[in-house]
Amino acid sequence: MPQNEVHTGGCQCGAVRFRVTRLGRPSICHCRMCQKAFGGFFGPLVTSHNATWTRGEPKWFQSSDAARRAFCGECGTPLAYETRFGLELAIGAFDDPTVAAPEIQVNLADKLPFFDQLTSLPVRSEVSDEWRDFMAGIHSNQHPDHDTEAWPPKENG
Amino acid sequence: MDRYKMEVSGGCQCGAVRYHATEMFDNSHICHCRMCQKAVGNIFAALVAAPREAITWTRGEPSRFRSSDHVDRGFCSKCGTPLFYEDLTGNRVNFTIGSLDHPELFPPGANTGNEARVPWFDTLPVIEHGGVTEQPDREDWWGGIKATNNQHPDHDTATWPAK
Repeated sequence: MPQNEVHTGGCQCGAVRFRVTRLGRPSICHCRMCQKAFGGFFGPLVTSHNATWTRGEPKWFQSSDAARRAFCGECGTPLAYETRFGLELAIGAFDDPTVAAPEIQVNLADKLPFFDQLTSLPVRSEVSDEWRDFMAGIHSNQHPDHDTEAWPPKENG
Repeated sequence: MDRYKMEVSGGCQCGAVRYHATEMFDNSHICHCRMCQKAVGNIFAALVAAPREAITWTRGEPSRFRSSDHVDRGFCSKCGTPLFYEDLTGNRVNFTIGSLDHPELFPPGANTGNEARVPWFDTLPVIEHGGVTEQPDREDWWGGIKATNNQHPDHDTATWPAK
């Protein structure tokens, strides 16, 4: 993983943004608490030694006395997990999530029974006319994958 | 896409928002598109749908972010759990599978949004295994979590939070 490079990221709507230059080990955590916090099959987290919030502040949920979880109060994106061992940022919230390829998976007791087959799923390639029209009509409200001077952008016209 | 009868419950981590569905679609899938990644802070979103009219919000109400003109993303404003993807022009709500009380019942059948699939996706099942949560030599760590867990249990409750 590149070290001491500037990594940025944030939530979907752009109300909360972060910056970090010193990343530790990326992991995926199968525990049921991470599953539920992310609404997913696992929590994807990378240890972040010097993260700062550069726009807005996240909201926190104290998921136990030992840990709290950050998210955007405006759009809900899960952003971080914090314990006495430090802060870990959500890999999918990075502007370039590819920089944090997980190196270890932990808490295997709650691993979903179909997890090992995920990478052999078929790729849906057929596209219906309905879906093509749907995609063509999308006007995204997602913050772009880079820092911005001001957000949201001024409405055109 | 077929629909079938099934009693399904789920909700957010803190339990402020809970839902129940009486029918489901057989569309369980994972979506790698960049909007799904960012909405769930994850490598992909895992989704399975229920017909809109088969859904009851049994506790609280989800908050919504309109990620595009067509689509709302639901979440809990108290704890942040991503709860759903809803195409407002469609007939269904796609729940995040991890928010269901029994995610193991919905093995995904397809990848979508593959243009943004991370290049190391295929490595996920084969990277080093770090063991289970409750390792004997780390009881001071996981014991503290277990004793103070604020997560809603994986079943409906008459009242919440527990007294």
